[in-house]
Amino acid sequence: MIYSVMLEGAKSMGAGAATIASAGAAIGIGNVFSSSIHSVARNPSLAKQLFGYAILSFALTKLSHCVCVCVCVCVCVCVIYIYIYIYKTKYPNELKTLKFP
Amino acid sequence: MLLTLSLVLLLLHFVTKKGGGNSVPNVWQSLVELIYDFMLNLVNEQIGGLSGNVKQKFFPCILVTFTFLLFRNLQGMIPYSFTVTSHFLITLGLLFSIFIGITIVGFQRNGLHFLSFSLPTTVPLPLAPFLVLLELIPHCFRALRSGIRLFANMMAGHSSVKILSGFTWTMLCMNDLLYFIGDLGPLFIVLALTGLELGVAILQAYVFTILICIYLNDAINLHQNSFLFIIERKRGIYA
Repeated sequence: MIYSVMLEGAKSMGAGAATIASAGAAIGIGNVFSSSIHSVARNPSLAKQLFGYAILSFALTKLSHCVCVCVCVCVCVCVIYIYIYIYKTKYPNELKTLKFP
Repeated sequence: MLLTLSLVLLLLHFVTKKGGGNSVPNVWQSLVELIYDFMLNLVNEQIGGLSGNVKQKFFPCILVTFTFLLFRNLQGMIPYSFTVTSHFLITLGLLFSIFIGITIVGFQRNGLHFLSFSLPTTVPLPLAPFLVLLELIPHCFRALRSGIRLFANMMAGHSSVKILSGFTWTMLCMNDLLYFIGDLGPLFIVLALTGLELGVAILQAYVFTILICIYLNDAINLHQNSFLFIIERKRGIYA
């Protein structure tokens, strides 16, 4: 396995870029609970069932945040090595490596 | 996984021995009755509209799925323990088995009318072939989506807690007062995240089960209301 400082930097940059997607998930979850508050304010007698719906929607919306974390972990662990492996098998005689002092 | 399985079986055995437990339940019996009652209401509510024995036909499978997921998700919250459902293979295998079962049940119960599920009633006829063919793709992805949701939730939660707790531990080990006081921030975040993880563990089991009930409902009652027994009347039998 190749290890170099540039590689670690690239992985960190990729992970940082992948974290931006959590913003959408946060907006979505806030939307869910905002609608839940509105609906309970309109009809407080159905509070229990509405709370059930709110929790169900929260669980479904959390999917985007979890996919974001999964992509982040993927970037940090496996993507760059897969890329290097493909590059090496495609051009086996290349002497250019990613090593930097 | 074997540990959790034996724990659940032990719990159920001790609750139901001596001919079914007490009339005034103790704590463990309350827990088992809570799960059982919860699933009974869920199945009755979702797969509605048909005679009683149809609902009870699917109840054991759904109860076992819910208990399986609940106890395995909660087992991952024990420190130094192994979360089974945070591996993609487990959730995907479970989901594929259940989804193939649902498709087979749909075809067995409705014959080729099962394909009419993808065609709502008010669609003009020339559009019909495209719609049916295009509907097969989301139908397959529905299976994958539930499995990925469960896997991603478990893995993401555990990964975030592990990363943040590594951060907390490093701050704790630095021999400096400022780091020690600043350690309280990540410590509380880890506490909050663990609480969220507990909630998410129970929730994901519930969401998985309720979605399977909804898919079963779609496969058995194709788009019809629970008050319209059209296909049942047409066939003349109560399945």
